[in-house]
Amino acid sequence: MAIQAPGKRFGKRLEHSKVFGHGLHGKKNMNSDLNVTPLVDMFVILVLFLVANFSNGEVLMMTKDINLPEAANTDELVLAPVVMVSKTEVLISGALVGRVDDLTREEYLNIPALEEKLRDMKKQFEDLHNAAQDTGAFKGDVNIQADKSAQFRIIKRVMFSCASAGYGNISFATMASSVKKEGGESASRD
Amino acid sequence: MAGGMDLGGGGKGGKKPLDASINLVPFIDLMAVTIVFLIMSAVWTQLGRLQVSQSGQSSAEEQPPQDQKQPVNLLITEKELKLSVGGTPFDTIPVTRDEKGRVDLSKLTGYLAQIKKEQPDQSAITLQTEDAVLYDDLVRIIDNCIGSQFPSVSVSPAST
Repeated sequence: MAIQAPGKRFGKRLEHSKVFGHGLHGKKNMNSDLNVTPLVDMFVILVLFLVANFSNGEVLMMTKDINLPEAANTDELVLAPVVMVSKTEVLISGALVGRVDDLTREEYLNIPALEEKLRDMKKQFEDLHNAAQDTGAFKGDVNIQADKSAQFRIIKRVMFSCASAGYGNISFATMASSVKKEGGESASRD
Repeated sequence: MAGGMDLGGGGKGGKKPLDASINLVPFIDLMAVTIVFLIMSAVWTQLGRLQVSQSGQSSAEEQPPQDQKQPVNLLITEKELKLSVGGTPFDTIPVTRDEKGRVDLSKLTGYLAQIKKEQPDQSAITLQTEDAVLYDDLVRIIDNCIGSQFPSVSVSPAST
């Protein structure tokens, strides 16, 4: 006697029944192909969307140490040197220029290391543009990426150093909040 | 043979269909990895900037105005905000915070709207800030000033 798969087996009388005899006669192929074309379509669209949305140039390097404040009436960030002010230290382009504790104790108006570094960067920019005979003038843009808990005593020294080094167009980097503040519509800026 | 093309069979008599299905599994793998990588490396926060100038830095910009605009000053201390227009002070605004620790600026907004009504051409405001003021509070106030149609914000240290 042939080995049969376990399961209900109806008698011969019901073998051809439409209800009870279902599946017992005629074997269906179990290897059915899954149609993956819609899945591939969806993946392609998703990849294109993600690439288009998140490749708009990294102006700021986001770190855990710096929580940016929120603001509603903001402009778009421009590519410029970034001065980072965290809870503990002040950095420019990733290089440490001062510790917040030391800067809080000192009574100077500027941060000499920061000013020097900015002057170097300005000189580099000008040399590079002169060598390339580029007429693009130095605009003096600088972004300050400071933690929301930083005190103004540090920010003012950073601002003073930037202005002294020729970077007068100071911008505070913020998180753009979608909620418009009490002031109503955003003011147009030129 | 639906969709198939007769190749002639090379003399063996059999017809081979040209409907070869492309193996999409490696492509799907690649897509899945790319999507995971993009999602992980994506910055979900939207960034912006508030442009400020440092008051008293360039004397060329501080020329006396030709029209009769009165300068708007806001003194920011840890405990209060003092708004003045051309030396005439408004009522002092005590610094109150909501449950999230954010400064309540509704009174300041009201005063700024009042100034804007009286001087529609005035777009500059100077924020004299004390050392102990938090950057978060300063940014909120700057944001509020820009929102109240004072886009030229100057920041200077408060004279002690």
